[in-house]
Amino acid sequence: MNKVIALEELSSFVAPGDSLGIGGAWMASHPMAAVRQLMRDGIGDLHVIGSLSSIDVDQLIGAGLVRELTFSMVSLEAYGLAPHFRKAVQDGTLIINEISGVAINVGLDAGARNLPYLPMRDIGASQLPEVTPDAFAEITCPFTGERLLAIRAIVPDVAIIHVLRADAAGNCQVEGPMACDPELARAAGRVVVTCEEIVETEVIARNPATTHIPGFLVDAVIEAPFGAHPTTHIPRYGFDAWAVMEYADACADGLADTHIAQLASESEAAYRERVLSADKRAVLTTIARNPKTLETQGT
Amino acid sequence: MADRYEVHELMVCRIAMEMTEEGDYVTILGSFTPLAYSAYMLAKLTHAPDAWLVGYNAIGMPPVELSFTGSEAAAYRGSLARNSFTPNGHLVHLGTHGLLECVSSAQMDGDGSINLSVIGDYDKPKVRLPGGAGAPEVVQNYRKVVAYFSKHDSRTLCEKVDFATGRRTPISRDRRDAADLATGGPITIITPLAVLTKDDDDRPFKIESVHPGVSVDEVVANTGFALDVSTDVPTTAKPSDEQVALLRNKIDPFGTVRFDFLSGDERLTYLEDVLAQEWARAEAHLAL
Repeated sequence: MNKVIALEELSSFVAPGDSLGIGGAWMASHPMAAVRQLMRDGIGDLHVIGSLSSIDVDQLIGAGLVRELTFSMVSLEAYGLAPHFRKAVQDGTLIINEISGVAINVGLDAGARNLPYLPMRDIGASQLPEVTPDAFAEITCPFTGERLLAIRAIVPDVAIIHVLRADAAGNCQVEGPMACDPELARAAGRVVVTCEEIVETEVIARNPATTHIPGFLVDAVIEAPFGAHPTTHIPRYGFDAWAVMEYADACADGLADTHIAQLASESEAAYRERVLSADKRAVLTTIARNPKTLETQGT
Repeated sequence: MADRYEVHELMVCRIAMEMTEEGDYVTILGSFTPLAYSAYMLAKLTHAPDAWLVGYNAIGMPPVELSFTGSEAAAYRGSLARNSFTPNGHLVHLGTHGLLECVSSAQMDGDGSINLSVIGDYDKPKVRLPGGAGAPEVVQNYRKVVAYFSKHDSRTLCEKVDFATGRRTPISRDRRDAADLATGGPITIITPLAVLTKDDDDRPFKIESVHPGVSVDEVVANTGFALDVSTDVPTTAKPSDEQVALLRNKIDPFGTVRFDFLSGDERLTYLEDVLAQEWARAEAHLAL
């Protein structure tokens, strides 16, 4: 079955008002081409769900597309506090559900298993259950009597996930950091994947151990080279710290609206042309392929 | 002993001591935090070559040179297994295999609460911070809690956090044993001035050691919570020449670790400089 669509057709799968799970974690493998497409199409009023979010969520908030956010972290790491996330929460314009980092994955896993909740070990005296009471409940184990936490299932209307390669049927292979993406794909009602390249099914079948999302879960496949840029996608390209710093600088200098307007007004091909010079591509590729590991004396 | 060392190198060496290779425990690397990464790599290259490192869910990653652009790639190269987050979280953050994952928060108080969420009121914050990621699970379930700070002042080590994103409880060994929770050491705070530890729910943090040239009074005056002060507080060990050489020449030749100790414009200029070096190295590799 051919599920391949153009990036421009993303809006057939994500509607205003949807709850939207966004894949990736830290500075890795966020589906940035799809995030840019949401900004181009102005698909708003979203309830965004992110496991460990970064520039992906910050840009969507900056574009005014996010009504509610379920998260454990939104950070630009070395490049500072995520400016739009920070401002929106401080201004009271964003509904937030802050959940601890493992609990959010357990919630997605519950959704993936078609369960209303899953139990996990408690998280000490964290105040997160106080401020996000809809996500957490204390339960007693029916077998041992231990106090446990129940984490309510998270079931996004739709998930967008970036992978290394996929076939037309949506079988997805990943070789680098995969965040909570397999659970997110299983939990969501609809799944759209973007990939570095679409390949023949034989290519997938040659190495099925790297297929982490089976095609039957996937509704649409989009080829989007450098689709996680400026976040990293191992083994293809390293983290474009220069681009993230440029974003952070623009926001600090009051130029965030211009920066986001530019992303929303150009095609993905034009974005790659503008941001990814031949030199930049070569450097990012080299960084991904040639990291420096150190010898230990013992091994 | 190295006469010429910087305080962040001393901190790195003290954190590295916490990483051991006994048992079926792992040390986890998440967001790129140069100071903690340096310490883990130093341990791998010196006393704990067989310790398990898990970086970005790449299991058994080798020690790597630090960089801002390539840390994910480095974690994956030479690693032995991969997981998605969820099984890793169940094994390590919620299971029985977590040894060490340093935390560094905006605030920490005398109860051991860490705040990575807000400055000010939770619902109307003065500053909204990134959030804790897996830190609440880490501080509760790992064998050890190791927190480091690039500043030692009473705003950071404060009387009471504005919000407890995470807090280990109980802390005392006997109470943790009774509750079948992981144990492996006190809560340890490492700062540019001193090392503080707490191993008893009912007692304050105590000063484990002060760094060379720092007085006990200075530590007390800059700490926002009460401290147990013994009459004879030892001095933190200086880094060895070998440790300093490994840090400067092998583990962190770009000097990413200084980043944690800079603020504002200084930090930006510094980042640009390190990134220029990373770019130049990639180009040099291309030219080969």
